[in-house]
Formats: sequence, structure tokens, C-alpha cells
Amino acid sequence: MKKILSLVLALCMMLSLAGIASAEAKEDMTITIMLPDFNSQYDWVTLEDGNPILQSIYEATGVKMDIKWVADSAYGEMTSLTLADPANMPEVMVMQGPRDAIMISSARAGAFWDLTDLIADYPNLAAGQETIYDNISIDGRLYGIYRARDYARAGVYYRCDKAAEAGITEKPTNWSEFKELCFALAGLAEDTYCINMCKYVGSTIGIATVMAGAPYQYGVDEEGKIYPAFEDEHFQEGLDFLRELYAAGGIDPDFITIESGNWNDAERSENPKAYMRLDCLDNGHRLQQWYEDNLGYAADPPVVALLTAIPNDEGKIQIWPQNIGASGEIVVTKAVTEEKLPAVLSFLDWLNSAEGQTAINCGVEGKNYWIHEDGFRYAYPEGEADNANTYTEYNNTTLHSLNQLGMNVNGNLTPTVAGTILRDEYAQNLLDNAQYVIGNPCLTFDSDTATMMGTTLAQDIEDAQVKYISNIIDLDELKAAYETWHAMGGDQILADYQAAYDAQ
Amino acid sequence: MDSAAKTPAKPRKKGGSSLGTEISKHLWLYIMLIPGVLYFIIFKYLPMGGIVIAFENYVPFSGITGSKWVGLYWFQFFFKSNWSLYLVNTLVLSFMSIILTFPAPIILALMLNEIRSLKYKKLTQTLLYVPHFISIVIVVSITYVIFGASGLIGRFAAQVMGHKVDFLGDPKLFRWMIVGQNIWKETGWGTIIFLAALTNVDTQLYEASMIDGANRAQRLWHITLPAIRSTIVLMLVLRMGSVLDTGYEQLILMANAKNRSVSQTLDVFVYQSGIQNSQYSYASAVGLLKSIVSVVMVVGTNKIAHMLGEEGLY
Repeated sequence: MKKILSLVLALCMMLSLAGIASAEAKEDMTITIMLPDFNSQYDWVTLEDGNPILQSIYEATGVKMDIKWVADSAYGEMTSLTLADPANMPEVMVMQGPRDAIMISSARAGAFWDLTDLIADYPNLAAGQETIYDNISIDGRLYGIYRARDYARAGVYYRCDKAAEAGITEKPTNWSEFKELCFALAGLAEDTYCINMCKYVGSTIGIATVMAGAPYQYGVDEEGKIYPAFEDEHFQEGLDFLRELYAAGGIDPDFITIESGNWNDAERSENPKAYMRLDCLDNGHRLQQWYEDNLGYAADPPVVALLTAIPNDEGKIQIWPQNIGASGEIVVTKAVTEEKLPAVLSFLDWLNSAEGQTAINCGVEGKNYWIHEDGFRYAYPEGEADNANTYTEYNNTTLHSLNQLGMNVNGNLTPTVAGTILRDEYAQNLLDNAQYVIGNPCLTFDSDTATMMGTTLAQDIEDAQVKYISNIIDLDELKAAYETWHAMGGDQILADYQAAYDAQ
Repeated sequence: MDSAAKTPAKPRKKGGSSLGTEISKHLWLYIMLIPGVLYFIIFKYLPMGGIVIAFENYVPFSGITGSKWVGLYWFQFFFKSNWSLYLVNTLVLSFMSIILTFPAPIILALMLNEIRSLKYKKLTQTLLYVPHFISIVIVVSITYVIFGASGLIGRFAAQVMGHKVDFLGDPKLFRWMIVGQNIWKETGWGTIIFLAALTNVDTQLYEASMIDGANRAQRLWHITLPAIRSTIVLMLVLRMGSVLDTGYEQLILMANAKNRSVSQTLDVFVYQSGIQNSQYSYASAVGLLKSIVSVVMVVGTNKIAHMLGEEGLY
């Protein structure tokens, strides 16, 4: 009897052990994913072909990622086509514009899972910033996990050695000193310019006007009335400055024909055509790196200086928001069943963990990245800096554009890379100056006219501003373009926003 | 396909034969017709069903059947917008290109026709066809390089005029640049049909007129041009059908903030609102309006052709 009992007990124990084991072993699961591809010129190594990164992710989570790459330039079109075929939608995909018509209409039509009440159960997702989640919400509901981007990225970077040649050795400390610097750089030589501009004028006009004190997109006056930013006096001040600089030979007259892909050409050269750019400051530390790598410039002192967070004439410090704290979002489509949803969200949660972030941003240690003796992350093994390119090649095929899946809502947890003077300064800027970044007060307001006509209307306004800067039209004609904006739908947008603002 | 469609028409005029005997009589011609008919059904007629989204608020995820019916909302929306600008830009650019690019291949074909050396003529023709096969993207890139401020013509113009000429930005020059690109790219290719028509001209007429003492210009005016007149009219009617088709690739590539006031045409608008901003319903409605105007143009021009005593399109 005792024997039988012990046998039964032993059997029970074995069974329960097996039960625990099976609960711990992660269930295999394939998730289909659609991502924009920035490396389409390189072949992609799939899991079946032995991609070590996908293999490591599979070992850690039991998830087999089945990724459909779409060239970034065609991603917008493919988004619509993909959503038009609900039977074959990927389960997880990137939506690039959280406030685009396609995102709003698809979310309302029920293409994506509503995650508003679900993310609280996933610690990493729940750690995301409330304000940014609000920024991407539609009708107060959350349909995706945002892909975090640094907030205080925008500013001015310029060649400080050239500024010294022009007699300005100190960094400008306010808006009027900044203007002085610009005119000094403009006057440095006959065939060189101050501000490097291209077809994409958004950042130049935005940074200049916001630095001068204008609101971003829309402003709210003392009486609580919403008005378009371009009708702010400080906006005009910023625009007038650009116009004067253009007249003084400080901007390439042909800037509007330069594609944004060739934007770097004027500055990445031994004899740069332009000495300053109003853009993301990380381009500034990359430019310095380029000079060091390609022209052998010394790292210390750097020839590039970063400038941001300087007060305008009234002492107000403002930074142009390069983004809404996010670059698009990751959505879970209705191709995922209700039973599978928690597992998919767990996977997204894991992607935000240190392990997950490292896997998709850096790859596998010893294959895609190496931690050197100094404790920093490098893209090549210690002592092999000379043939770093072979490792880059390998990363392009195995790592590809996996970082597009990166959300990092709980901050960047990947192993850090060694700093440079400018990179450290940039990182410090992000910490110190996030408080000065201004937002669009109407970002989350709903207006059908804005959804339908907003892009066209904004384009017309930008065109008029470019013509004003280029001295093709005068102030009256610019004002006339603003009037057209009001008549063609702007007034309707303002009315919609005002109603939403008053209801708040 | 053309001959297949025409042949059965003849006996019917004589009266009598039914469709069944028709088909059995020219069985192979009808079999050869099948791929063409299928092409038109699959790629031209069936997609027309999609026009229905012009009357809906189409959401891709909800599909054609699931989207809300909004009737003529999008048409009203369009007429509330800056529609006249798009229409004027389209018509001006289109008529400019008809007036300037339509005669170009005729003139070139007549010139080629006068070349005596057959070898030289063949070589010239081949070289003239080459630009047609160059992608418009490349043509625009070449234009940018040549006409830019530091380009060959850009610098030359600056020296001659004494000031910089903004070929790529000036709205007044924009249409000329577009028409110029089209003439460069398509004139050679366009000669093919006229050269074919010229080979049909009875050479005896030339000989007879030479005996009568007609000079070259008179022969051209009184024999060659009347001989290819119906071809010219036919091509013109076809061209009028596409009068509102300005295409969008070339215009989008050439457009920038300075010249957008003249580069925004209906096609560009449809592309931007439909593909770029994914407003499918709105874009379909505008596209449909454009097609209606095009049909009116074809029918109208054809009527005029008949009035002038030409065969026209049908």
C-alpha cells in the first residue's frame, strides 16, 4: 500500500513538474510585421537563413518574426494598400503619421486594437510618457505604442572656426547676437553662404521663427483665441530676418531646387558652400565626425558649434519641436485574434526591455557589436577599427532596419557608445532643454477640414513664405496668401479648433 | 485588332449575314480578337466599378461595400476649394503643349521625308527616337544640371542677359520648360505615324506636278499635306481626348515652392490628395470630373472634324 502511495505521489510530482516546465517554456508563435526599410539596397537575412538576431529573439521570447520590408519612400502608399486588404494585414505594423487621415479613419473603422485599457498590464509599455501617448491618441483612445524620439533635438549648428574668421569668437547668447553671427558669416566670402537651406524648408523657417518667439503651428492669445502661428508678430520677425539674410547673400538663391537628399553636400566638403544649418543638432555632431573621418580634422577643438535655447528680444526661450516626442507608432491590427493579443503585447513589452532594445538596435554581442575595455559599445571588435566597414556590411544585412520596430518608450536602455565633445554636449542639451520645447496647442483637436485640406493649405502658406524670403513677393502679397488661407478653409479649421479648445 | 474590327463591318453593309455566320466566316480573326477584348474588360471596364468610391467616404479597411455613402459631397467639396486654379493651370499647359508640340513631329517628318540619302535618313531617325526611351526622371535631372545656376545654359543666360535667369523657379518660365522637355523627348517618336502616312502618298502625283512646274514648296502644300491630312486630324482628335492629362511625374519633379502656382494641375492634385494624403474618395471624384470633361472634348473635336469633311475618329 505504502509502495503504491509513494508511486502515486511520485507520479503526481512528476506530472506537476512537467506542468511547471511547460508553463515556463514559451510557446512558439509567429508574428507578421510590416516595417519601413531604410536599407533596401542590402539583402535581408531571414530567420530560416540563420539571422543571429532573429534567432536570439526567438530563443528569448519564442517569437518568430516574419517581417515584410517596404521601402520607406513607398511606405505611405503601401500602408493604404495593406489596410485595404484586411484578410492579409500584418499583425503588427508601423503607422508613420499618428495624425494622418489614413491612421484616423482606419482606427475609427476598427482596423487596430484599442490599447487604452490594456497597456497598464505591461510594465515597460506603461512606463511611456502620458503626454506623448496623448499626442498620438484618436478621440481619446490609444491605438498604438509610440516610437520615442528625442524632444529637444532642434537648433542651430555652425562652423565656429569660420565665425572666428568673421570676427565672432563667442557663441551668441541671444536672438540678436545670433542674427549678427549670421550676417557676419554671410559676408565672409563672395561665393559662400551662411544658412544651408534646401527644398525642405520646414526646419529652417520653424527654428528661426520659434527662436524669435513665435508659437508652433497655432497660438492662443490672452483672450483664449486660437490663431495660426504665421500671423504672430514674432513669426514675421523670423521671416524678415531670413529675407534680409537672403538679400545679403547669406542663402543660396537656388536653395529651393536642392533635394533634401543632397542637403549635406553644401557642408560636407573641404570648401563648404554654407556654414550654418537650422536642423536637428545630432546632424551637427555627425558633421564634426565626418570632418574627422574624411578630412582628418582634430576632434578638439571641434570646428562645429551647437547652439540652442537662446532667449529672444523679450528674454523668452523657446525650442522648435522637431517632432511630437514620437516618430509614428506601432499598431496591433485586427489580424491578431483576441486570444493572441496578450502574447503580442507581451512581445512589444519585451522589445522595450533592455534585452529587447539591444537586440533590435544593436544586434547580438560578439556578432553585431562589441563592448570594448573602456566599457563602451563599438561596431567592431577591439583593435579592428581599420576594417570596421566589413562589420558594417554585415550589420546592414542582419540588423537591416530592425530599429524601426524600436519604441523605447521607457528610455534608451542599449549599451552606450563612447562620447565625443559634441555628442556629449548634444546629450546634455536633450536633458537641460526639454523644458523649452513648445508644442502645438491644437495637435489632438479634430477638424475634418484640417484632415482634408490641411496639407494643401499648409503647402500654399509655405510656398508664399519661400517666395517672400526669396524676394519674389512683398509683404502685401504674403498677407494676401494668408487671407487666401483663411478663405479656403483656414477659418473653418480655426473654428473647429476653437470649439474643441473651449470645450476643454 | 483594327482590321479585325473593320473587316466584318463590310459584309453587313451589303446586308444579310447574321453574327453567327459572321463569326464562322472569320473565325481566326475573332479568335485573335479575344486577348484584346479581355484586356479591355479586365483592365478598363471592370476597374470602372471602383468609381463608386467617389460617392462614398471610402476607408480602405472598411472596403467599398462597408464605407459610408456620401453622394455628391466630394464634388461639392471640390468646387468649394481652389478648383479654378487647377483647371486653369491644366488647360493653359495643355493647350500650350498642343499648339507647340503637336505640329513639331509633322514638321520633322516632312523634313525627314526630304532627305535623299537613305542611310543618313535611317541614322537620323534612330537617333531621334532615343530621347523617347529616357525616363522623365532622367530628363528632369539633366534639365536641373544644365539649367541650374551653375549649369551650362544657366551660366550662359546669366552672361547674355546680365542677370541670373531662374529657369527652374520662375513661374513664367515653368510651362516653357515643361513644353520644351516634351518636345525634346517625344518629337522624334511622334514622327513614326506621320512618316508611315507619307509613304502612302502616290509618287506619280509628284512626278506629274514636277512636269507641271511645281516647286518644292508647292508640292508640299498641294500634295503632301493634303495626303496626310486625315492622319493629322485623327491624331489631333486623339490628342484632344487627353487634353486634361498633364501627367504628374514630370510636373511633380519640376515643381517647387516658387512655381507651384502654375504647376498644380488636376493630375497633380489627384495624385497628391489620392496617393499622398490617401483621400481616395476625393481624388476619385476629381478624377471622374476630369474624365467627363475629356469625353466632351473628344466628342466635340470629332464633331468639328466631321463638319470639316474629315473622317474623324468614328
